[in-house]
Amino acid sequence: MTILTRLEQWKEHGIISPEQHALLTGLSRGEPFSLFLELNIFLYAGILAFVAGLGWTVSTWSQQLGDVLVLTVLSTMLAACFWYCFSRAPAWSPGETRSPSPAFDYVLYLGSLIWSVELAYLENRFHMLSGQWDLYLLVTAGLFFFLAYRFDNRFVLSLALSSLAGWFGLTISHWPSHQDAAYRQYAILYSLMVGGVGAALQRRGLKPHFFGTYLNIAANVLFWALLSAVFNREGYLVWLLCLLAACGASLAWGLKRRQFSFVAYAAVYGYVGVSAVLIRDMNDGTAVLGYFVFTGVAMLVMLVQIARRFGREA
Amino acid sequence: MRAYSASSEEALRARDLLKDWAGEGFLTEAQYQRMEQETVCELRRTNIFLRLVLFLFTLIIVGAAVALFFVVFLPRSATQATGIFLLMFAAISYVAAELAVSQGRLYRYGIEEALAVCSVAFLCVGLDLAFFSGVPYSSREIQFVIPAVGAIASLWIWYRFNLWYAFPAAMIFAIFLPGYWTASHSSQHVFLSVFYAAGLICIAPVRSRHRFDYLEDAYSLSEAFLWLGIYLIFNLKISALSLPSQWWSNTRPASEFAVPFYWTTWVLIWCLPPLILTRGVRQKDRFIIAVGAMTTVLTLVTNKPYLGWQRHTWDPILLGIALTGVSLFLRRWLALSPAGVRHGFTAARLSGKDKHTMSVGSTVLGLVTPQSITPAPQQTNPDFRFGGGGSGGGGASGDF
Repeated sequence: MTILTRLEQWKEHGIISPEQHALLTGLSRGEPFSLFLELNIFLYAGILAFVAGLGWTVSTWSQQLGDVLVLTVLSTMLAACFWYCFSRAPAWSPGETRSPSPAFDYVLYLGSLIWSVELAYLENRFHMLSGQWDLYLLVTAGLFFFLAYRFDNRFVLSLALSSLAGWFGLTISHWPSHQDAAYRQYAILYSLMVGGVGAALQRRGLKPHFFGTYLNIAANVLFWALLSAVFNREGYLVWLLCLLAACGASLAWGLKRRQFSFVAYAAVYGYVGVSAVLIRDMNDGTAVLGYFVFTGVAMLVMLVQIARRFGREA
Repeated sequence: MRAYSASSEEALRARDLLKDWAGEGFLTEAQYQRMEQETVCELRRTNIFLRLVLFLFTLIIVGAAVALFFVVFLPRSATQATGIFLLMFAAISYVAAELAVSQGRLYRYGIEEALAVCSVAFLCVGLDLAFFSGVPYSSREIQFVIPAVGAIASLWIWYRFNLWYAFPAAMIFAIFLPGYWTASHSSQHVFLSVFYAAGLICIAPVRSRHRFDYLEDAYSLSEAFLWLGIYLIFNLKISALSLPSQWWSNTRPASEFAVPFYWTTWVLIWCLPPLILTRGVRQKDRFIIAVGAMTTVLTLVTNKPYLGWQRHTWDPILLGIALTGVSLFLRRWLALSPAGVRHGFTAARLSGKDKHTMSVGSTVLGLVTPQSITPAPQQTNPDFRFGGGGSGGGGASGDF
């Protein structure tokens, strides 16, 4: 029985009104056919291509064009983008707000990317911070966070989080030695900070729908950092315990909130970490393969139980 | 012939649509609850994350179990014996997939999918080892049987289990076939396009019988893949999609493409996108429209290399303006019509899935900075560099 037949029956039984029947039948037949997603993808691809070309052109022709022209063009575009956003934006609200126009989010995204291009150009041409350009990333991250929260924009929030990650990474680049351990510490610090700030903002009711973005990025960075420590030859046991604790927390969160990406993180990262420790000294191929068979079956049984109990629907 | 009954698949489709409509407010909660009770289905499903993890662990188990078998029982077996056992494992994997569906009532659960995928992989490797290992180079033509069997097996998996990705897998297997029959690259391209065109001819009448039912999406996606495949075969400038003989070696093809063939493909890459777009718009088919748009962009991007013209740094700017302009124009044009609907199309969002896709997409794509797709600069001045962006920040970490 097709959906059209079912809708007809539901209308005859009075479950849905004739108006609902007409609407739902139309939707089932693709009438009207929504191009919402396609047009958004076109806009995003267009902005990305535009900024890529802009960066390429500026980098290639800056000497011929001259600093004044380059900066004037970039600043004009930047000002136009931000003027458009600030003049069109509705009053700020802590909750989820709709964009005033379909192009609004993309204009803000364009402005943010042009800001990055201009800032990089300024520093590399005039060395205003004498090479301390990681500070630009911090300033950029701050600006992007402000814009993301002011205009309720996930694109710019992701840019802000990646800028902040870049700032942590660039700080590490100044460390003369032991970069791996230092990088790990900063990665863990970054993930805890991002997760903590995201949770605090959510508790205060400030754009609570952003919390998922914070948590997913924080979780992945944390798991990568812990896994990199577990792969070390020395002092890995403490890190393994940390990894298991993180997996437990991720699993509990995922099951409680029905966010199964966190269940998947716990299963995959946990399995990789534990396996790395258990099989690192195994030289017998049979034992290694046997390990994968038995632990794989155990994981499969556990996941099927979870899927049957918690994750039935697609 | 199909693993799942039509009534079960229709019920699942109805449940998905009801959930979407309730989420969009087209149905009240009471209506949704009542209607959902009438679409109960015995098949077991799970969400995408658990499906992926279950798929991964099933692959690990099957791979490790087969390897363990060879290590324990046949440590020094002959290649042909290994091949024969792999063929047996292919059969076992396939039977296990069938049992998972018939007994376990699994539907897109990861487990049965991984078993089906393993069966195709074991079948191809097993055939190669059992029958073609040590075959002299002069008898190489007969080895076309391996990709042919792989393609047929993939098509069967696609048809039997309704797994969309088995169809492009079959198309990929088909790419290897012409290499066994002819050394001419032009002929290989023509053979492949004939295969895919034959696929289109077969699918078109079948899908017209499944308008608005549960198979519509499956056939629509397959047709879209075939159109994309035909386009990619003819676009000779998309180097990554050259024929497999060029994947494995760095050597250039023995003979360049003949001039008439080269220019014919240039004409075709301009003719195909409007044809595909027209077909998609007439059918109101999301996947075919997407392929039409994608091929249009690819044609614009590859046109200059085709003609031997020099690329300019501002080409992406022009492309970006064109894409943005088309998007804004279409949106405005549709919105200005009565009720925002023109010729049956609207720019408004009608499905909760679109909102979810946008939400996830904006988070993931927001992390992609333009720097990552910016090509290396033309060396007009050695003092000037531009690149980096590896630390994110929308390129603010790049250097000139």
